[in-house]
Amino acid sequence: MDFFAFVEGPLLWIAFFTFIIGSLVRAALFLFVSREKDKIIYQHFSWKYVLTTIGRWLLPLNKSVIKNPVFMILAYIFHFCLIVLPIWVYQHVIYWEISRFEWSWVSLPVGLADWMTLIFLAIALFFLVRRIVSPDIRLLSTFSDYFLLIVTTLPFLTGYFSAHGTLDGILFFKNNMQLLHILSGELMLILIPFTKLSHFILFFFSRSATAIEFGRRGYSM
Amino acid sequence: MSEEASAEKIEETSSEEMKEINPKEIMDFLKPRLGARHKMWLNICAHCGMCANTCHYYTANENDPKMIPAYKIRFLTEMLRKKGKIDREYLQKVYKTVYHECNMCRRCTLYCPFGIDIAMMISLLRGLLLSQGMAPTGLMKAVENYKAFGNQMAITKEDWLDTLEWCEEETAEELVGVKIPIDKKGAKMMYTVNAREPMFYPQDIMEVAKIFHVAGEDWTFPSETGWDDTNLAMFCGDVKTARMIVENTFKRADELEVKQVAITE
Repeated sequence: MDFFAFVEGPLLWIAFFTFIIGSLVRAALFLFVSREKDKIIYQHFSWKYVLTTIGRWLLPLNKSVIKNPVFMILAYIFHFCLIVLPIWVYQHVIYWEISRFEWSWVSLPVGLADWMTLIFLAIALFFLVRRIVSPDIRLLSTFSDYFLLIVTTLPFLTGYFSAHGTLDGILFFKNNMQLLHILSGELMLILIPFTKLSHFILFFFSRSATAIEFGRRGYSM
Repeated sequence: MSEEASAEKIEETSSEEMKEINPKEIMDFLKPRLGARHKMWLNICAHCGMCANTCHYYTANENDPKMIPAYKIRFLTEMLRKKGKIDREYLQKVYKTVYHECNMCRRCTLYCPFGIDIAMMISLLRGLLLSQGMAPTGLMKAVENYKAFGNQMAITKEDWLDTLEWCEEETAEELVGVKIPIDKKGAKMMYTVNAREPMFYPQDIMEVAKIFHVAGEDWTFPSETGWDDTNLAMFCGDVKTARMIVENTFKRADELEVKQVAITE
């Protein structure tokens, strides 16, 4: 089996399984440990607090949007593109169709997907520059903050390049861009459960726990 | 009015002589107290900086990046990574941050996209410092008093009852018929005070007695511990003592079968 076949075959399975099972384990671990050590969450549990806070923060309806509108709106667009593009970009939908599953769903218009990718990349660049330039964020930043931002951006960058042949002038990229695209996507998926990227699922638990803590004191987050 | 006096005390720093820090002690303190939430928060904080301008220490210090709430809890991450291998000097740095750069107001939590409770982790760090003998002297003294007397001013039961008695007598000279009920079972409300009141400001108790008398309130003081409603143990992360203080008040309320507990300050 050559390397490409490995990357688009077994490694893809490994990546997906690591991502799904790893994320579930992270969530289960939180629930398991918190039952013992954070009983307050369960003693005061209320769906009212939980759903309100998740609704307010999944949509831009919260305090931070008012306080830091530029960053927060960009962060919302960033995450929106991050989730929507991989699922609905038409090249991916085609692969699902011709896969053993033969799943099919609507795809994004090509032009829109292109624009979303470019906007995503622009925001990612802004985040990176902000991390380097702003004295506040630079002090806070650790290696993983830079590293994971790059890991998250790479699949989109290589995806754009491979769809448009931007770097086809260089023979290595011409031959390998798709490989790089798949590899970078797999790298991100594998890293999610083990890094702070796990916030995609722990966000819900963290918000809920704090909303319960504040909610029982009469403050709606 | 008690604010100034306690602020003074908090200014002084007390620390035990420079004895070696035992990494095992640090980890033995942290491990059982690190909940699932702490671990998750230390893990997922994206260092986005949204908490920065919500902190009054940050804005009051001309946006000093060192005052960003997310930055202040780096100590917890560092100590865990170093497995508790730290020195006294390091703990002094922690002390400066957790006592002088954060008052656990929790405002940053309201603006954090993940709702990370920085104050809870600062409190944990304060508790850790206390376990190493480091806390503001005023607070340490108060905690000892709570443990021995159930109130922060080391007032004995005799002194407490005596104070209430002469307060009642003196007030009755001004307003005939004023009573300061003690242990009145089934009263509507149990009234609690800051322990500084019987110690330094008994006139407050007298004024309150007058107001309740004129308003026709059905109230009582408990004679046993539980009448001090301050909880300074909470401020140095001494959860055990903080809990005992609150439980005392609840116990008295149950015993006296009151409907409400009134807390001053």
